[in-house]
Formats: sequence, structure tokens, C-alpha cells
Amino acid sequence: MAIITQQKTAERPAPISETSVLGWLRINLFSSSFNTILTLVMVFIVYLTISGVLAWGYLDATFVADKRRECYDFSLTGACWAGVIAWLDNIFYGRYPREELWRVNMGGLLLILWMIPLWISRVRGKILIGVSVIMFYPFLAGYLFTGGEKSWFMQFMVTGAFLAFFVNMANMLIGLTMNTSMDKFLLRLIGQSEAPDKTQRNILLGLVVLSFVIIFSVQSSWIVDGVSWTKWGGLFLTLVISGIGIASSLPLGIFLALGRRSKLPVVRVLSTGFIEVFRSVPLITVLFMATTMFPLFMPEGFFLNKLVQVIIAVVLFNACYMAEIVRAGLQAIPKGQFEGAHTIGLGYWGTMGLIIMPQALKHMIPNIVGNIIGLLKDTTLVSIIGLFDILGMLRSISKDVPWLGLHKEPLVFGAILFFLICFSMSKYSRHLEAKLSAGNKH
Amino acid sequence: MKLKLTLMTMTAAAAFMMSGATTAAAETTLETVQARGHLRCQVGPPSPGYYNLDAAGEWYGLDVSICRSVAAAIFGDATKLEIQSVSSQARFTALANGDSDMLSRTATMTMSRDTQLGLDFLPPNFYDGQGFTVRKDSGITNALQLKGAKVCVTSGTTTELNLTDFSRENDLGISNVTFDDYNVRDDTYLNGGCDAVTGDKSSMAGNIGSFPVPSDHMILPETLSKEPLAPAVRHGDSQWADIVRWSVYALINAEELGITQANVDDMRANSKNPNVLRMLGVEGNLHEGLGLGKDWAYDIIKSQGNYGEIYEKYMGHGEQGIGIDRAGSLNALWTDGGLMYSPPMR
Repeated sequence: MAIITQQKTAERPAPISETSVLGWLRINLFSSSFNTILTLVMVFIVYLTISGVLAWGYLDATFVADKRRECYDFSLTGACWAGVIAWLDNIFYGRYPREELWRVNMGGLLLILWMIPLWISRVRGKILIGVSVIMFYPFLAGYLFTGGEKSWFMQFMVTGAFLAFFVNMANMLIGLTMNTSMDKFLLRLIGQSEAPDKTQRNILLGLVVLSFVIIFSVQSSWIVDGVSWTKWGGLFLTLVISGIGIASSLPLGIFLALGRRSKLPVVRVLSTGFIEVFRSVPLITVLFMATTMFPLFMPEGFFLNKLVQVIIAVVLFNACYMAEIVRAGLQAIPKGQFEGAHTIGLGYWGTMGLIIMPQALKHMIPNIVGNIIGLLKDTTLVSIIGLFDILGMLRSISKDVPWLGLHKEPLVFGAILFFLICFSMSKYSRHLEAKLSAGNKH
Repeated sequence: MKLKLTLMTMTAAAAFMMSGATTAAAETTLETVQARGHLRCQVGPPSPGYYNLDAAGEWYGLDVSICRSVAAAIFGDATKLEIQSVSSQARFTALANGDSDMLSRTATMTMSRDTQLGLDFLPPNFYDGQGFTVRKDSGITNALQLKGAKVCVTSGTTTELNLTDFSRENDLGISNVTFDDYNVRDDTYLNGGCDAVTGDKSSMAGNIGSFPVPSDHMILPETLSKEPLAPAVRHGDSQWADIVRWSVYALINAEELGITQANVDDMRANSKNPNVLRMLGVEGNLHEGLGLGKDWAYDIIKSQGNYGEIYEKYMGHGEQGIGIDRAGSLNALWTDGGLMYSPPMR
């Protein structure tokens, strides 16, 4: 006779041995005698490492001292972070005049503010924002950092930068609060949202010109002291060089890659030759050539400062690597895509710009970001040719008499700093990948 | 290493020849500097005592003071100066191609450099020499006891070659342990990786000062090499060479005459010594030959002090000094048995 019950047996929790911490430990770490031994050995190694690092870096370390001898008086084995702390301004800003540091901070802050709308989905007109950053920000930042008298062109660009920045900020606020774009909002505000297109365009154009004139007259009295590029240094210089390097090597790389795949023989040969030559020499050689030999070939009186030479060298060098990455992406696009583009009547640039490049670049994001991270770290080579970038500054601490011989702590600090920057870049690239390939997960 | 040195020499020589071709018709270095409004003075990557950055980002050191002296002599203002820090591979090229106006860095004056690289070396501002550092408890008291020892040395310099020569000459069988960075060299020595360290005595004195227990170590009395460290300028502009040369001599002469940063105003106003009056531009026309203003030497001493003061500040026991005793060394005045000697300024 079968025993049938209508009641469902009450749910019981999984056995303790499966769910508790102990259970997890037993299954994952102590499942056999071999694993147990392995676990214990690893725990011991981890303990040794952590306790050693902790003792050196924190427990025995000195954070407040005027010279290294005072650190030794406190502990002979601990780290001497006081030296790094005393040099923080040098590490971040180089020899930039101390009372002018706000300009560097302001430059960084402006860039971040400018870019924020790009990450907010409710803000409209992202392409315009991106273009405005690339077109105007370098001039505004360039003037902030170098200062001095403004040429007419510079005044023009600085005005443009301010205008673009203010519009961008207002656009973001309007987008966030009213979920519309700025031009529509303005037109509604003055009651012209129903006017014909042409009137609308004229009104907007008038507003732009008006605010341009106002800003122009205000900025012409805004003059900051000149600071020579020779005073730039530290993380600031590293970011300037790699920032310009990143921003210009990608577009340049795209053109080189297209050139290399071009059907026009001259373009193809030139692009290929350029890529192969620059890729076949070490960066340090390119840097040395740029700074010591280049001035010899130039006509007398022609003077390009060392920083510009270095930046050009870094850009050209990295553009070649970028070009090969982009080319790899182009190779991966099936022929059908090109043919499809042709059938809907797109020309060369239309095909490339609208169909091929977006796909190619998306595929290559990991490589591109990898290259960008490599570029950031490569820029430390400039410390060899006498620019005091972050590595140059970190190494100089051990030569400063109060901190003579202090070389481990600065390098550890630098390593942490680089890790933070590079890791956040790689995190961001993962995020970008996920966002862009949302449609075709496989 | 040899290859590296040869290559370096070749680029410098090539650069010199090309610059000779292009600047032949140009103005003098003094005119270029005056037109530019500041002096470009080349030092090396920071090196204790000679040229360092402090936490505020300012340069200081013995060689930096020479740069400042020349700037003061030309402009009457020691801050009209751009210090260029150039790696040792590019140092002579950067001078030859006109990037730097002068070189004031720990460059050893040697015959081949003076005659083949298109440089003119000027009076040495520091006499150095290579020596050994050992642990006191090792029982070694002179360099000949280093038989079969492991010696830590930085690579790519004459230091390494001198060590090999010394070992061969005395049949010591020393094995070199080479490093790129002297901090790592010192760490290795401190952790027992080698029995001795060799390097320039001045920099080793500074480094010992940074060891956890400096009194455990000592520098052996032997000196392996002569290292006269001197400023240098491009070959072919004698007036410019004269300006740098006499700026160095002015520092030494001022010490000899007892002129200091503190009393220079008083000396100029009240001194009866014709040598002092001539040098400070009260009498005579010494400045005319240099093409500088009457106050050139006064401006140097007023802004930098005399050689002895500078030495105490950076090489001696001053706040930023690396603690090398001057008395009895080659760097004392000739009147105290050293080599610091200035020809008469008259």
C-alpha cells in the first residue's frame, strides 16, 4: 500500500556542511590532505607577505619627519613616507610655481566637468560635446598652463572654449532637469518654438554671436602670469604628454591604417613606410633623435621647445602602433559589410565612417586601451632625456640632501599611483565594451 | 659599455662639426644669451652636493651655484637662469648643438674630451677622486687588502674602468658587481652583497651619511684616479669661455681676499686693498675685457658668496651639505695646502 500524503514536506535548510563558512572551507580548501597542506602553505606565505608589508609600510613607518635621519631614529627597518609626503607637490606638479598650482587643478577640473555629460544618458548632443572638447579644451588648458600674453588667435580660441564650456554645462543641467536639449529649451523660453526652421536657426546663431562677443570682451582682461614649460613636471607632465599622445595618436592611427589599405599606391607606400620605420626603432631612440639630433637639421633660428619635440615623437610613435591595431580591426570586418554599404550607395568615406570603423574600433577596444596604458607608462622614458615627469621626480627624492638615499618608498608610491590610473582605465574599457556590445552578446 | 661611449663621442663630434658649420656667421654666445634674457646652464640628473631639487622644486648645489654666478655676472640677477638637466649620454651633444650655453656638471676634465669633443674645459670647481668604502668591522684598512673581494660599482662610467685597471695593476683579482643605479648598489652593499663599494669619494661621503648607521663604514685612504670636475663651454668663443672662467676665479679670489656675501657691500665701500677695489669694480677696468658691467664680480659674491661659503653650504656641513670636510683636501685654498688657486685679478 502506497503511503500518499497531501501535505508537502516542509522545506529544510541545506545541510550545514554545505552552506556555512565551515562547509565552504571544507569543500574548497580542505577537501583532501594534499589540498589541506597546500592551503596551509599558502596561508603561511600570505601571512608572511602581508605582515612584512604591513610592518614595513605602516607599523614601523615614519610619516612625519624633517629628514631621513629622523626616520632612522624612529625605526631602522620601517619605511620613511615623510620624504614622499614632503615631495608631494613635486611629484604631482613638478617645479610649477607653488602659488600657481590652482591653474593646473583648474585645468584638470575643467576637463572632468566638460566630460561628465558624456557619461550621462539623459544629456543630448554628445557628439557636439566630444567635438568641443577636442577643438577648444586644448587651447584653454594650454593658456591656463602656460599663461602670458594672448595672441589674437589664442583669445579667439579661449573665448570659444569658455562659450563651449558654459553651453555644455547649461545643456547638461537642462537635460537633467527638463529632459530636453538646450536649443529647444531656449526657443521655448522666448516663445519661438513654433517659428519656421530658418528663424529658429537665426535666433540661435544670434545668441551664440552675442555671448561670444560678451565673453570675448570679458576674457581679454583675463591674463595669468607666464610659466615656462621647463617648470612643468611630475604627474602633471606625464598626463599632458600621454593625454595629447592618446588624443592624437588614435585619429592619426586611423588615417595611417586606412592609408595602408588604400588602393592608391603612393598613399599606401608612404603609410606603410612610415609605420614600419617608426615601429622598428625603440621609443628611446626616437626621443633622443627628436631632442638632440632634430635641432641640428633645422634652419638656424628655428626653435622648437623640447616638450613639443617629445610630444611629437610620442604621438608619431604611438600612431604607428595604433594604426596596426586599427588595421587588425579592419581585417576582421567581413567583405559583406563593404558590399552592403556599396549597395545602399555609400562612398568610401561613408562606408568607412558609418559602417566599417564603428565596428572595427569596437572590436579593438581591448587592444586600443592596452596600447593607451602602454603609452602612459612609456612616457616615463622622458625622464631619461631630462624632463622631470613623475618618474624623474620620484627618483630625484633620493638625491635631495635631507632625504639622501630614500629610493624605495618613492618608487612604491609611484607604483601604487600608476596602478590606480591604469586599473581605472582598464575598468573603464571593460565598461565601454559591455555598453557597446549590449546588442550582440555571445 | 665601450661601444656606448664610442657612439656617444661620435654623435657629439658630429653634432659639433655640424653646429660649427651653421653657427659660423652667427653672433657671439654672450650676445645670444643677452638677447634671450636668460642663461641656459646644463647640469645632470640630480646628484647630491652638485645639483639637486629640493622639496619646493628649486635647484641647489655647488655646480648650480656656478650657473647662478655666471647669470649674476651677465645680468646682475642670478635668477635669469634656466637650469637644464640632461642625461650624461646627451650632455656634450646638447652643448654642441647650442641647446645649452654652458655645462656645469660633474664632468671630469680629460685630455680627449678637451681636445676632441669641441669643448673647452675651464678651471675645476671641485677635485674629486675615486675611492673605496668598506665596513669598519671588515678589518680592511687599505685598498691592497681587497684581494679577491667583490666590489659594487655603477656601470658605464670611468669608475668601472678604473677599478679594473687597479685590480690588474695590483693583481688583486677583484670581481666587479655592476649596477645602473647607485641606490641599488648601496642597498646591495648594505645587505652584504659585496665587500666594498667604489665611486667618487665625494658622492660616497654623502651616501655613507644616508646609511642607517654611518659610523659603521669608512672610506679607504687610497685614491684611484684624478677627477677634476670642471665647467665647460663650446670650443671657439673665447670671450664666452673667459666669462665663465673668471666667474669661477672670482669666487676663489673673493675667498682669498676675505670678501663674503655678508661683507661685500662694506668691502666695496670701505676697503683700502687695491685688489679688492679692482675686483669689485671700484677701480680699474677689469670688466671691459669680459664685455660685462662694472659690477659683475660684486653681483656674483652678493648673490652667491665666495667659494668657501658655497662649499660649506653644499659640500660641507651646511643645512643642505653632504658633509665632506674641506680642510686638508684638494679643495682647500692653496694657502691652506689645497689646489684652489686663482690667478691675480688685475
